[in-house]
Amino acid sequence: MAAPSAAGLGRRLRAWLPRLTQVRWTRYNPSFLEPEVNKELYRKPWDELSEEEKEKQELRALQPIKAAPPSVSCSVFSDPMISKFTNMMMKNGNKVLARSLMAQTLEAIKRKQLEKYHKAPEDEKEKIECNPYVIFHQALKNCQPIIGLSNITKGGKTYQVPVPLKDNRKRFLAMKWLITECRENKHRRMLMPEKLSQELLLAFNNEGPIIKKKHVLHKMAEANRAYAHFRWW
Amino acid sequence: LDHGYALHTAAKDCLSSVLSQDVQIPAERPRAVFYTNETDPANHTEQHEGRHYSIPLEEVKAVFPHGLPYRFQQQVKTFNEACLMVRKPALELLTYLKNSNFAHPAVRYVIYGERGTGKTMTLCHVVHYCARQGWLVLHIPDAHLWVKNCKELMQSSYKKERLDQPLQASSWLKNFKTSNEHFLKEIKTQQKYVWGKRESTEQGRPLGEVVEQGLARVRSASDAVGVVLKEIKQQCHLGSFRVLVAVDGVNALWGRTTLKKEDKSPVSPEELTLVYNLRKMMMNNWNGGAIVTTLSQTGSLFKPSSAYLPHELLGKEGFDALDPFVPVLVPNYSQREFESCYHYYLHRKWLQHEQARTEAGKEELRFLSGSNPQQLERLAGPL
Repeated sequence: MAAPSAAGLGRRLRAWLPRLTQVRWTRYNPSFLEPEVNKELYRKPWDELSEEEKEKQELRALQPIKAAPPSVSCSVFSDPMISKFTNMMMKNGNKVLARSLMAQTLEAIKRKQLEKYHKAPEDEKEKIECNPYVIFHQALKNCQPIIGLSNITKGGKTYQVPVPLKDNRKRFLAMKWLITECRENKHRRMLMPEKLSQELLLAFNNEGPIIKKKHVLHKMAEANRAYAHFRWW
Repeated sequence: LDHGYALHTAAKDCLSSVLSQDVQIPAERPRAVFYTNETDPANHTEQHEGRHYSIPLEEVKAVFPHGLPYRFQQQVKTFNEACLMVRKPALELLTYLKNSNFAHPAVRYVIYGERGTGKTMTLCHVVHYCARQGWLVLHIPDAHLWVKNCKELMQSSYKKERLDQPLQASSWLKNFKTSNEHFLKEIKTQQKYVWGKRESTEQGRPLGEVVEQGLARVRSASDAVGVVLKEIKQQCHLGSFRVLVAVDGVNALWGRTTLKKEDKSPVSPEELTLVYNLRKMMMNNWNGGAIVTTLSQTGSLFKPSSAYLPHELLGKEGFDALDPFVPVLVPNYSQREFESCYHYYLHRKWLQHEQARTEAGKEELRFLSGSNPQQLERLAGPL
């Protein structure tokens, strides 16, 4: 058992122990591995695992593992996108409030769609999407811009140059636009879950102010095509 | 397809024994095991335990103008149907009511239990049964609303030291009128009531006139409520109709209030006309009906959140006033009831998450909610 695992390790990483270490903080030594929260993987018996999975498990038995952050859960209902969105909605570290607002938003979307579903005639029932998670993901995807603008200074003047965006940046922009739209451009007395559910349903159908903002950004990028060669990355 | 799935999985759980006993007349489509076609609460037995029965929406509007919890009303609106689960405490209460002797003084039943276990829904089940049987139902949806947050508090014209609450009294009278239309024409007043200099109700007029008077002149609404209660109490022993007094949150009647008089001194509950008259109704010196009440910590004032037992919530004064009573404990969902509720939500498409349909999702819901009905409902909301 020891010989094949030593050969399969590849890079030999000796556990590095300096004289004074903090046990857990945000900067870990590179030898620390990410925690595995998926319960299904642990339930599989040893024989069913493939070769690389067996190697990975043996490596994990020897290497130190980072502490799991509180936002990661082994619940089957947890969704990383929803957690990211909740964190962006949070103000002053009040995660309890942000999470309850998110839950109320999803419930509001579900109620609106279910009411439409029950009132619709039989043939149109399949077209109505009632799953709030599907609506949320699709709405975010519809809001993501493909191309962005970046300020580049050349010869004393600053130009708005069209630039491709990374996936993370696209997701961030979509969520940010949703939240700012709901916070600023709505009636003061309307509650956040109601505003958000309205915006998400509009974005799901490719309508609404956020989709318009995305189109405006695309048009600006198209208009500034001439400066595209200013980009050097 | 849907029903086949539900039947299959539900039969795997411990409901298979009931399948053989319960011969349901096949309708156009066979209903799943967690539904029952029996819409009359009078015919509910242990056979129907853990199953949902539906109340037609017109009946809901007529019988419950103001009784159902807010989340249940939202659920009725979303699902387009009102389905209540038949549970053991409700069946117990229904057997007691069916076998009670109406020549004896009215028995007091107190439904108690921890938060979110279904006390109000049990009360609503009993109210539905009595409404179907033709009883006169005096349903006070939440007695806590009468002892807090009162915008207008006026001195009573009838007795100088008492205080009136015109808004609460008039809204209760409006809902009372909706639920008991036909009784208001039959019951006649037995004495003359003078409301003001020019308004009075003669003897022998129908009770509907007293209610109209209370709704028209909001200043005398609390006194109208008092008159209605007094007339019903005086006449129910004659036996022409039965009375059910259903009070939710009865511990409000003997607690403290957050109301203050104009000189900032605190108001005690007996100084309020509505509470004073309701307390007289809660005594067991009348016969020809029953009194079913619920204890509630959720709206209560100055009580710790862990209190749920009768002597904790009622205090010495309330316990002595209600003693002797029949306590009915409402526990969390049993295994069967949890399965039934879970499959009902699945069937009505309330649980939309794809993981919620799996065994792992179900076990997680069971663990997170602790089989508490309110927690399960709140958890299932965003899923």
